[in-house]
Amino acid sequence: MPSTINSEVLLSVKNLKVHFELEHYQHHGLRDVFVSAITHPVEFFLKRPELLNVIDDVSFDVTRGMRLGLLGVNGSGKTTLCRCLAGMMVAQSGSITTEAEVRAIFDTGTGILPELTGRENAFLLARLFFPEVKDLKPLVNEALEFSELGHFLDVPFRQYSKGMQARLMLSLISAKSTDVLILDEVLDGADYFFQQKLSVRMRNFIQSAGATIFVSHSADQVREVCDQVLVMNKGKIGFIGGVEEGLDYYHKNLAPVS
Amino acid sequence: MELKFFWAQVRDLTVASLKSRYRKTFAGFIWVVLNPLLMFGVQSLVFKTFMRIQVPDYNLFLLGGLLPWIFFSSTIQMTTPLFVSQSHLLRSFKINPMVIFGSQVLDNFINFVASFLLIVLPFYLSTGRDFSTLLLLPLALIPLLIGTLSIGVALSTINVFFRDTNFVMGFIFNLLFYVTPVFYPKEYIPTNWQWIVDFNPAIYLLNPFRSLIYFSDGTFWMATLKGFGVSLVLFSTAVIIWKRKRNAFYHKL
Repeated sequence: MPSTINSEVLLSVKNLKVHFELEHYQHHGLRDVFVSAITHPVEFFLKRPELLNVIDDVSFDVTRGMRLGLLGVNGSGKTTLCRCLAGMMVAQSGSITTEAEVRAIFDTGTGILPELTGRENAFLLARLFFPEVKDLKPLVNEALEFSELGHFLDVPFRQYSKGMQARLMLSLISAKSTDVLILDEVLDGADYFFQQKLSVRMRNFIQSAGATIFVSHSADQVREVCDQVLVMNKGKIGFIGGVEEGLDYYHKNLAPVS
Repeated sequence: MELKFFWAQVRDLTVASLKSRYRKTFAGFIWVVLNPLLMFGVQSLVFKTFMRIQVPDYNLFLLGGLLPWIFFSSTIQMTTPLFVSQSHLLRSFKINPMVIFGSQVLDNFINFVASFLLIVLPFYLSTGRDFSTLLLLPLALIPLLIGTLSIGVALSTINVFFRDTNFVMGFIFNLLFYVTPVFYPKEYIPTNWQWIVDFNPAIYLLNPFRSLIYFSDGTFWMATLKGFGVSLVLFSTAVIIWKRKRNAFYHKL
């Protein structure tokens, strides 16, 4: 990883651990809880919940200019890791040290109020994405132009196709440069041409400021966007390093055992 | 997040959702006032005319309890399923879940204020009470707001894990209405049953409002002090539940 040596660290993850209690999966509702408290009182009050380790002792640094691809099979902890980095979840132990502004998007199919038009939703989303910006108009207008949605902008959001929703969301989230941008499997909704356009925008954006963490299952997208790869394996880091070696590791080590 | 940003987000979301609702149908706005008006009308008819509850200015007495009760119960029943119904939004990007929450509470609070101005105020003024007393109104509403918000956050979080919470609460609220002195005075309850009221957090949140607009006497300060105390306990409980569950929350949504 020659490019990361001596680079400015934007985000430093140390011995991160996240676990969930499994007890909730046994009870579906309050009525279940009530019934099991009455029928098996001893077990109910004394049994310790089982723990599911989702992130297990993960450490790495994100440096300025880094385009990190995050790979791993479903359930390996990629999204949980990203949610921790974005500040949505708090790890039980370990630390994430950062002065950076982290922006993350996990799904592009989200209109806040589907009855409102794409344009109205865009302003609302911008308020949520960029709370610190006072005058949202120039920023949103630029994003709307970039989205090339044209007259569809004044159509209710609920009538948008998946691809159009993705265009709107991705244009907005990338409208303002940020230190660290996390994109979790969100490029798939947009068409090939828009992906290309967005990829250029992200590169410019990374050159001007921060770093990107890019979660994907597509080797082509990872090659296109990333310069490094981190492979998650059952909550631990399986590999961190160059793109081709990372993809190689992913394909060789994480294939299901038959 | 800074409070200023938080407020801007809550405000924009509330304005947008009002816009979205009334674009669909204007009947929504009429319903906001009509709903409490009908509830008030029927209860006044049943309890004052049919059952002849002996309370002076019964209409104002009833409104003093019923209006905050409607805000309290409808806000909690609307917010309990909120985290689950907005799970798509919450999982999609980093948004403070309390923004969505605050917006729903504000939305209901606007309804409360509208029905206060259109229904309570005319009754209040017609009884010849002192207008300046109403200056204390914000103080009476703080415990109601904090308490309602806290119960809502706690239940909405629990509902993420136990999806029948809203169903169970609907049932509990039906019961709670009868054991909370909304349409009858607390004094009607025999002494050996008074504990039902003493352990009912709802009444502490509702009392300051009624105390102010109906009794308009020294009981207001004690009621408000108790209201603050209870809402503070509820608030702390909500914070504890939220902090304990916030990780698993995203996992389970």
